[in-house]
Amino acid sequence: MTACSDSSSSSQTNNKIDYTKNYPPSNGGTLIDAMTGEPSGLIAMIAGESAASAIAGNIFNSLLKYDKNLELTGELAGSWDVSDDQKTITFHLKPNLKWADNQPLTSDDVLFTWQKVTDEKTRTPYGSDFKLVTKAETPDANTFRVTYAQPYAPALDTWAGLHILPKHLLKDQDINTTAFARNPVGSHYYKLEKWKNGQFLKLTRNENATQGQAKIDNLLSRIIPDKAAQFLELSADNIDSMGLNPIQYARIFPARPDLNKNIALYKELGNSYTYLGFNLKRKPFDDVRVRQAINYAINKQEIIDGVLLGLGEPVASPYKPGTRWSNPELKPYPYDPNKAKALLKAAGYEDHDGDGILDKDGKPFTFEILTNQNKEREMTGVLIQRRLNDIGIKANIRVLEWASFLGRFIKPKEFDVVVLGWSLSLDPDQYSIWHSSQQAPGQFNFISYSNPRVDKLLEAGRLELNPDKRMKIYHEFSKILLEDSPIVFLSAGYGLTAIHKRVRGISNPAPPAGIGHNTYEWYIPRAYARNEMSEH
Amino acid sequence: MLKYLVKRIFWMVPLLIGISLISFFIMHLAPGDITTSEASFNPKASEESRQKLRELYSLDKPVIVQYGLWMKRMATLDFGTSFASHQRPVFWQTKDKDGNVTLGMIQEALPITLLINVLSLILIISVALPLGVVSALNQNQLTDRSITLFVFIGFAIPGFWLALMLMYWTGVQHTWLPISGLQSIGHENMNWLAQITDTLKHLALPVFISGITGLAGISLFVRNGMLEVLHQDYITTARSKGLSENRVIYGHALRNALLPLITIFGLSIPGLIGGSVIAESIFAIPGMGKLFFDAVLMRDFPVIMGILTIGAVLTLIGNLIADIAYAWADPRVRRGVVQ
Repeated sequence: MTACSDSSSSSQTNNKIDYTKNYPPSNGGTLIDAMTGEPSGLIAMIAGESAASAIAGNIFNSLLKYDKNLELTGELAGSWDVSDDQKTITFHLKPNLKWADNQPLTSDDVLFTWQKVTDEKTRTPYGSDFKLVTKAETPDANTFRVTYAQPYAPALDTWAGLHILPKHLLKDQDINTTAFARNPVGSHYYKLEKWKNGQFLKLTRNENATQGQAKIDNLLSRIIPDKAAQFLELSADNIDSMGLNPIQYARIFPARPDLNKNIALYKELGNSYTYLGFNLKRKPFDDVRVRQAINYAINKQEIIDGVLLGLGEPVASPYKPGTRWSNPELKPYPYDPNKAKALLKAAGYEDHDGDGILDKDGKPFTFEILTNQNKEREMTGVLIQRRLNDIGIKANIRVLEWASFLGRFIKPKEFDVVVLGWSLSLDPDQYSIWHSSQQAPGQFNFISYSNPRVDKLLEAGRLELNPDKRMKIYHEFSKILLEDSPIVFLSAGYGLTAIHKRVRGISNPAPPAGIGHNTYEWYIPRAYARNEMSEH
Repeated sequence: MLKYLVKRIFWMVPLLIGISLISFFIMHLAPGDITTSEASFNPKASEESRQKLRELYSLDKPVIVQYGLWMKRMATLDFGTSFASHQRPVFWQTKDKDGNVTLGMIQEALPITLLINVLSLILIISVALPLGVVSALNQNQLTDRSITLFVFIGFAIPGFWLALMLMYWTGVQHTWLPISGLQSIGHENMNWLAQITDTLKHLALPVFISGITGLAGISLFVRNGMLEVLHQDYITTARSKGLSENRVIYGHALRNALLPLITIFGLSIPGLIGGSVIAESIFAIPGMGKLFFDAVLMRDFPVIMGILTIGAVLTLIGNLIADIAYAWADPRVRRGVVQ
């Protein structure tokens, strides 16, 4: 066992290395990245947070996965069939699958995982989709079959999100308390070698991985809560990769040629969008003309330029641009204050008393924009406030801590307008957000949107497993949503990643699935490997 | 004195119960619980599932019932397990039936915070005492003014900014010190001397940053205490008796000027374990401040209550120690206590 040097000494030598040379892919090396929070455990169905999914995603497999173009493809399943009545899905597992401890991975493990996620005693918030399965069976060791009471199109997406757990290790354990969550055995490219609480998690290559072998030997994720400290660690060459904010990407990097010499920047469309949502139960937001007027009055490009420093794109539907679910014909409302004023006038809003604020029935048009403590959302609120002021609407901004925001305002629907974000869905089903039946406290249609045509489309979309037919349904749904303007789509920011130039094999420009879609193909040429502590 | 002590310790019990009761209710006044964390604003997590989670955590019961359950556990010194961090014990390690040991969250975070704070306290005392004394002895002269200026800069400078500047200077520009974390990767593979050096290098900046504000306060305190004492009649008497200046200052004045410091240090005992959220977040140190902050954000009630309870116990003990030490140091107080 020899200790070489600590990582800090490598920064001086690395400045002299020429990172422009090409090397063929090779095995070995350690990739160090940073994350702001520590996973609570590595059983994703229980942990739930993004840090857990990021790490567990390297350790566990699902039946299906999304490929680089965000189309579903097999992971543990080599193929799958949907029955003619669209109620039964049969997954055929790839042959000779193994767990990291060399035990065979069979359909029994899949069945066990389904039983756990649907078990009343399991502390998971993600069980509801899987409870729709009326029958789960394993005709043989390589076949897993689920039957639903009626066709359920998002099913395939749910199976792409469920990490399959090893029955032989967990069958006698309480999944809520098991030590397995901190010492997991999976089937994917990596296995957990060490977890030092509050400091780092180290993964090493799983030699038994049946999905192929990753090229990089070790993935080390350091827990560094402060983004500025992460940036300093990146500058000092102590970490290889981190997510940047727009200022670091657009201002600091261009001004620092020394950083650009060692570090490459990547941008890809992120997985969420920001929106302004109306409380449709409150006047005057129940009037579509008022909502459309506000949509015309907001300059989305200004928000992208001002808040995201140009590092974002406008969106016109709740689907990731470039994927099949996003309707290419839809365009965001252009910035047009005159049209906004005309619509408001048609809705009865004019400045009768000459105080510069529109009014109707003697009441001035003022409301409150509510958002949570998130700098980008706060700044977005300020820009919206100014544009609304231009057309005679007075808006006040209120910023709240997340739990108070949800508990006191969103759940009881005590708000006028919110600035918030939703994920850009990979599966197009958004029943829980837009269907009129989902308005009870705690449900996700908290803006109280209700449109019978949208309800019908959402219901139809859930029953249709044919992707082409489904696509038409959701294109139509997006069109109505845009016309109706229950929310104003503001922007989708880019994910901004800095990765050290020693790491090769990264797709640039990023495909729809993002640069991380092929991390197992990334490699670190031996000449560039850092001078690490190594065990011999 | 013994009777006084017994009485004081006896009184701690109802005080602690009162503190825990208030803490428990205030904690539940804040909206939301563990199921309201950001991840749960997720359409894949249905309201029914969250309701079921609340039942599993007993969060659906009235607060008074939850408090009763908590008290019942606490009677056996069981601090419970965290909601947010996969069933980790809040206070002390547990062993499951397979023999796997899980370390307690406070058990892990406390020594780190304690080490940083004790080191910074040593730094504060060793720098602030001479500074304060020198400052007082040279009242209104250049030395005094320079020290006072330094002290005010120490007060005014934002800790996080100074921390980042120092991290950049000592970690990026020069590679003298590590930037963040508590140990280097591969710390276990080092020999014991290298391990100690490695840890000390990692601790240098956090200790300095957490010391700098305290240093300013204490040196000002010592200076003013010294000045006050130096103007007392007994100092004039001592001088007129022909005692050497050193004897007057270090034998008579300093000792009396430092008496109030005992109280301050006694009261700072709970602070020693409280940790600093800002310093711990910036330097990526898994200490008590960060633990408490995260627990509050996640509404991780068992951890919040665990830390509050231990904090309350230590505050009471700190007060007691301060009183005892003060009585020991000052005969007038001692006599008062006995009476």
